[in-house]
Amino acid sequence: MRPRLIAEGSSTHRWIQGGNWTLTIVVMIAIPFLVAIPLKPTLFGNSYTIGISNVNEAIAWAVAVLGLNILTGFNGQLSLGNSFFVGTGAYLTGVFVQTYHWSYLSTLIVVIPVCLAIGLIVGIPALRIQGLYLALVTFGLAAVFPSIAKLEQLDRFTHGSNGLSITSKLLPPSWMPIQGTLDLINKIPIIGDWTGTDHFSKRQAEGIYAYFLLVMIAGACFLLAYNLIRSRPGRALIAIRDNEIGAEVAGINLSLYKAGAFGVAALLSGVAGTMLSIDKNFVSPDDLGVNFAIFLVVGLIVGGSANLKGSLIGGFAVIFVRQWASQTNEVPLLGWGLSGPYGQMVLGVLLIGLMFVMPGGIAFGMQRLRQRVYRVVPAGPPEGRTDD
Amino acid sequence: MFLFAVSIDTDPELLLARILDGFRFGSGYGALALALVMIYKATGVLNFAQGELALLGIYIAWALGVGWGWPIFLAILVSMIATAGLAAGIERTVIRPFDPSNHLPLVIVTLGLFLAINSFVAVTWNTDLKALPSMFPPGDVFSVGVAHLSWSGLGIFLSALAMLGAVNLLLAKTKVGLAFRAVSSNLESAELVGIRVGPTLQFGWALAAAIGTLAGALLVPELNVLDPNVMLSTLVFAFAGAALGGLDSPKGAIIGGILVGLIRSVVVQSVSFIPSELSVGAAVFVILLVLLVRPSGLYGSSKVVRV
Repeated sequence: MRPRLIAEGSSTHRWIQGGNWTLTIVVMIAIPFLVAIPLKPTLFGNSYTIGISNVNEAIAWAVAVLGLNILTGFNGQLSLGNSFFVGTGAYLTGVFVQTYHWSYLSTLIVVIPVCLAIGLIVGIPALRIQGLYLALVTFGLAAVFPSIAKLEQLDRFTHGSNGLSITSKLLPPSWMPIQGTLDLINKIPIIGDWTGTDHFSKRQAEGIYAYFLLVMIAGACFLLAYNLIRSRPGRALIAIRDNEIGAEVAGINLSLYKAGAFGVAALLSGVAGTMLSIDKNFVSPDDLGVNFAIFLVVGLIVGGSANLKGSLIGGFAVIFVRQWASQTNEVPLLGWGLSGPYGQMVLGVLLIGLMFVMPGGIAFGMQRLRQRVYRVVPAGPPEGRTDD
Repeated sequence: MFLFAVSIDTDPELLLARILDGFRFGSGYGALALALVMIYKATGVLNFAQGELALLGIYIAWALGVGWGWPIFLAILVSMIATAGLAAGIERTVIRPFDPSNHLPLVIVTLGLFLAINSFVAVTWNTDLKALPSMFPPGDVFSVGVAHLSWSGLGIFLSALAMLGAVNLLLAKTKVGLAFRAVSSNLESAELVGIRVGPTLQFGWALAAAIGTLAGALLVPELNVLDPNVMLSTLVFAFAGAALGGLDSPKGAIIGGILVGLIRSVVVQSVSFIPSELSVGAAVFVILLVLLVRPSGLYGSSKVVRV
């Protein structure tokens, strides 16, 4: 079947775009209400969980993957050390909320400049170190973060290897129509049953509030990235990735843009760290090591490198694949049951597998699929005009 | 402030003890760095999964030696052969299909292997602490006050030197070693003169895995712990050693590893303002400094790129 061709800017195209956006927004508003009491679909005797806390964590991861995407996907500098920036953001938020009793959101005032600065500082030596060597140095950076967080001198703030629990809660403001929206969703025939309740407990309401807060922050981050990529600096980043010498000849200041890419990536990663603290109320040094950094690479490749939608998909993929793998205890056709941390193994295999079959990631695959149905082509010249 | 109170321990016995410690661990790091160098030399890829391959080997040795009661020498030998076979298989299935001159996808594949092997070990043998017995007799060769040279310390050092000698002999005197050198010097020309590049690189992967397993089996008894995370910081130290010695020089790997071991146990321990938890940080600092100042390391050949 030949794909249907749709001219860019035509009314059909506008309808599709408008429909996509409406659907996205409706789904985004509905999701937290549907999963605030975790859904537990069952498949082949395994019970899986989709809960609001996983969704929140996945949104935070999406922003972290976005940071890596700017640096690795668009600028071509492979970093295995972005967990360092995420950890810095997470700890800064944790310490300022727990020790100094700031509100969660106001810690961004500290997290953003500090992470930007650290990113720029790391970016400067990265100007001389390229490719694999950069991966090596940043790998070391990721490996060293847990031991910095566990330093005795910082124990007062970070509570060492026990991790930092944050007791402050995010209370939903009274004007937020949580109950009203729930009533509305409950009236929808089939989908309404999925909420599973007529009234949310205080904790579930907190989760929903955190969700909307995180969606706002993530939305701002994705908007920032979208504008960056489509602007002059974004094109410079892509040009550097594609041909460094060519970019330099074309008058692009390599040092500025490469260090800048590190700065922006660190900034986004730091914000992602803040988001993780908001979601989990707990920061553990051992979670923020090398594995975290490699999971970010998995998210980048699985979702789609140099693709903003891919970052979102990648964040969700890392969180849910890991969780669902650990909940898969019975596999049909396999004689024995599974238990233990299989999620990491599945992610590793997924990473290698996707490098083979779909190097562009899931986002690219979805794009290809869509292009079989319809294709958006540039609009032709206006009708009814002849040039003679 | 702790930052400004710099003091350096100068007690000679303590210093000697730390130097001996540095040699003991440094030889282990050097041996693992040798494995990294073999793969880098052949393919130009940094194998981030090297430590985890060694981890798998150590656990196989543990299962054979402690679980089945085999003599530890035999257990380690069998696990070396097993990981070499596994690495050859890995090279054939997931490494060779990729373009050898484009390194980033290959590195990402090794990261996938890192996750998969680490998780496989944790699932198969669970995450409880275990202990791998040492190949060397307990006791000291000599001791002066607090400083003592244990048999295992001497054993690791000599083993690392023996591995270096064996690798050099293999590269210099055998046919496969000649092919290996040809491939690492110029892949296309080697292919043109009829060397089968694929199997040669496969041999490099297998050899590196065997070396890495032995390095891990030497080092882990000294660390007194065996859990699925044990090779991670070791890998960073080994990378530091390999970078310091020059990423394509086997001799440099051993010397660099020993130097990193000395930095870890002499410099970090003796200078008061560096907290000892930050020894991994010292290794990262070494990597950074070497790559910034002298990317070819002490003994590596500097790369000339034509643009």
